[in-house]
Order: sequence, then C-alpha cells, then structure tokens
Amino acid sequence: MPSVAVDIRHLSFRYDEEYVLEDITAQIYDREYIAIIGPNGGGKSTLLKLILGLLRPTKGEILIYGQPPEKKRTIIGYLPQNINFNLDIPLTAKTIILQGRLSRNKLFYDPQDYEALESVAHKLKISHLLHTKISHLSGGERQKVLLARALVTEPKLLVLDEPTASVDLGAQKEIYAILKELDMTKIVVSHDINIILEGVDRVFYINRKLFIHDNIELKITPREGHFCEMELFEELKRSCDA
Amino acid sequence: MLEALSFFSNSLIASALLSVAVAIIGSLMLVNRYNYLAAAIAHGSYGGIGLAIYFGLPILLGATLFALILALVLAYITLKESRHDILISLLWAVGMSVGIIFVDLTPGYHTDLLAYLFGDILMVPSTDLIYMGAVDLLLVLFITLFYHHLLAIAYDREFAILRGVRVGFLHTTTLLMVALTIVMSIRSIGLILVIALFSVPPYIAEKFTSSFRSMMMLSGIIALGLFVLGLWIAYLFDISASASIILCAGALFLITYHKGRR
Repeated sequence: MPSVAVDIRHLSFRYDEEYVLEDITAQIYDREYIAIIGPNGGGKSTLLKLILGLLRPTKGEILIYGQPPEKKRTIIGYLPQNINFNLDIPLTAKTIILQGRLSRNKLFYDPQDYEALESVAHKLKISHLLHTKISHLSGGERQKVLLARALVTEPKLLVLDEPTASVDLGAQKEIYAILKELDMTKIVVSHDINIILEGVDRVFYINRKLFIHDNIELKITPREGHFCEMELFEELKRSCDA
Repeated sequence: MLEALSFFSNSLIASALLSVAVAIIGSLMLVNRYNYLAAAIAHGSYGGIGLAIYFGLPILLGATLFALILALVLAYITLKESRHDILISLLWAVGMSVGIIFVDLTPGYHTDLLAYLFGDILMVPSTDLIYMGAVDLLLVLFITLFYHHLLAIAYDREFAILRGVRVGFLHTTTLLMVALTIVMSIRSIGLILVIALFSVPPYIAEKFTSSFRSMMMLSGIIALGLFVLGLWIAYLFDISASASIILCAGALFLITYHKGRR
C-alpha cells in the first residue's frame, strides 16, 4: 500500500455564509495522478488552495505527507492559474523559473540553482526561451515556463491549477504528455474535462461535495476524442453514487 | 554658465539623489501597483507638516514620523482588509485635513507651506541633501538584499508565499521606504507633484527593457534627464523648476505612450 500524500478529513470551507466545500474526505496516494474536474464555482480551486495551505479549512483538516500544508510547502510545486500575472514587468523566463528556488532565508541564487534551471529547461525543451521576456511568449510557452518554475523546486507533490487554460490544442497535448511522464504525486484541476483521457489514475468530480471515480473506464465513450461535459458529469455522478 | 552651475549645485546634487530613489522606489511602486498607496502617503504626510509647524518641530522630522506611521497603517490595511480602497482614500484625506487644521491653529502666517505642496528644487538646503543621501543608501541596501524576493512578490504573490518569502514584511518595508522617499522629495518636488515624478520614468523604462535591473537603471537615467532638462527650461524662462520638471515628464510620457508596447 503506497503512503498517503494528501489526507483530506471531513473538510468543509465557506466564504462568508455559503459553503463552497462540504464534508469532503479523500486520500491521495504517493505518486498518484489525480484530475479534479467540475463546474465553475464548484470548489475546485478552493480545494487546491486548501491543499496548498493558502486557505484554512472552516472544519476538518488536510495533511500533506502527515503534516499541515504550511509545514510541507517546500515539497510542493505549484502552477497557478495563468490569469492574474502582471505581464508588464520586464522579466525573462529564466528569472521567473529561478523564483522556484527561493526560500524564506535564501536571498541569492547559487550554482546549484542555475544547474537545476538548466536541467528543467532542457527537460521541458524551453532552453531557447530562457532569455525571452515573459510578455513575448505565447500562452503555451508561458505555461511551460510556469511548469518549469514549479518543477525546479524538485517537488514531491505537484499541484496544477488549469495548466492548459488559454493555450492552443498542440500545447495542451504537449503539456499533458509532459505531466504523464513526471514521476511524482500530481493533482491537476482542469476545466478541460478531457484531461481524464490523459492517463490520470482517478478523477475527483467536485461540485460542493466530492465524488471520487476510481475507474476511468466510464460507460460513455468520447466522441472524436472528446467528452460531452454534461454527459460526463452525469455519468460520473451516477457511477460514484452507485 | 559657471555662475548658473554654482547656483544650481544643490539642485543638481538633489536631482542625482532623487534619481536614485526614482529608479528603485518608482520601479517597485510601478510593478507592485502601489502608486495609489504612494499618493495616499504623499498627501497624508501633510498632516506631519502641519503637526511639526504647530509644535515647532523640524518639518523633516514631523513629516518623516507621520509618513512612516501612515505607511504602517496602510500596510496593515492592505494586508488585512478586503475593502482597503475606501480606507486608503480616507487616510489620504484625513492626513491632509490634520495638516490644514494644525496649520490654521498655529499663530502667524506660513508662507512656506506652498513649498511643501509643490516643492522648489532651487531652494533645497544642504541638510536635506544629507537626509536624501541616507535614504538612498537605505534603498540601495534594501533592493540589493531583497531583489529576488521583491520580484517574486511583484510577479506572483501567492507563489512567493508558498516559497516562504516574507510577503507581509517586505510589503510593509517597501511602503516604509516609499514613505521615506516621499519625505525626501517634499522640499524639491512637493507632495502634490511627487507621484508623477516617481511614476513616469519607470513607466517609460518598463516598456524598453527586458529585466528589472535594466528598468531601474533606465528609470534613473530618465529621471536625471528630466531634472536637468526641467531645470534648464526653468532657468531659461524663469519659471517654477518643479512644475517645469513635471511638465517635461508629462511630455515624455505622451511621446513614448504608444512606443514599445508589448
């Protein structure tokens, strides 16, 4: 039995009076690949922020490798949603990736940081982009830079929030292929429901409550390589209830 | 020419020292979108000037203490309160009102008040140059030590928190540095005009550079150029030097507005 990477126990969270997540219990095992899908406002990103320790549960608790998220941040690699960044700041891809090597008491980079940068950039095939200004990169290239920033931390747990949002289909496929190859615990929140075709181990469907689907072989089949969102959500709910 | 240079000597030294502050704090203000906060500190600092005049304290001391307290309150508000925009506006106005009331309560007429609002770089005393130099040193030390952490916060605050960067501490310290920088500019540029001077050079530099270091360097060079040009125009036409500098900044902003946009 693999060790538990993320242990979610009777977790509830509310903004003001309204519960966004209600009594969620789940375990994510070491080296598992989990996709979290669900409708907008269903609580996907909130759950991620709770896992990262950026929000505190209203009830219940989350443990990352046996400890509260705040104590395990150094082993978490995080790729946030690509929406709130200030792209006007003159920063190169290299500067942004290196930020993944920062820590509380580390004010300057050392040679190992540059080695880690080169290695990740090589792995993601973005070495040629390192000196490019971030605002000059395409959506897909920018996501790969952010993925590199998450990976350069050498994480045990990789948390990704909409890694393929606003990137073209080719870049989406490329990012999914990279993720599939990574040997670590991976949690991907995606609006793109077709991520479940990309080799994930389990699917968490979240709409305030959590439905876990252990068997990816659903009764419905994708048409022309794509699931219909409504059909998939219905099928997930039905099979989870069963 | 030499006569003019000697007349301008303190102004030119002040210009150089202010350019260093524009390069560092102006750039940090821009990338963190702190301009509104800085404007609140600048205007609110008038309270410190009013209090210093009323209690007979040195203006620089009164303005410094008041601006630092204002910066601490603003740092707390922006970190803890969700509706901080309203509180910032309130502090802005309350600070100015405190200044106006205490000046009203002070017996006698204070002709030099306009100098604090609009500044006069031609009248910067040597003691102010020492203060400016000391603030510049602090700024250089601050940016050298925390360069990578400050950039991480400016680009992605959440990620910086996850990496253990002390976001609250650096946010507060940056605002304290903004407060000191504003106070050092009071006599030269004035509380009303200072924000334009600290915004325009970094805004232009941001569009033409590919690293934050080069952005700061170019901001400083642009600021120094604006000071020299503004002073020269003021000398030629016998007009207010501070206003002349700000008008040059405005003109440069317009010229470069559509250039180099990403």
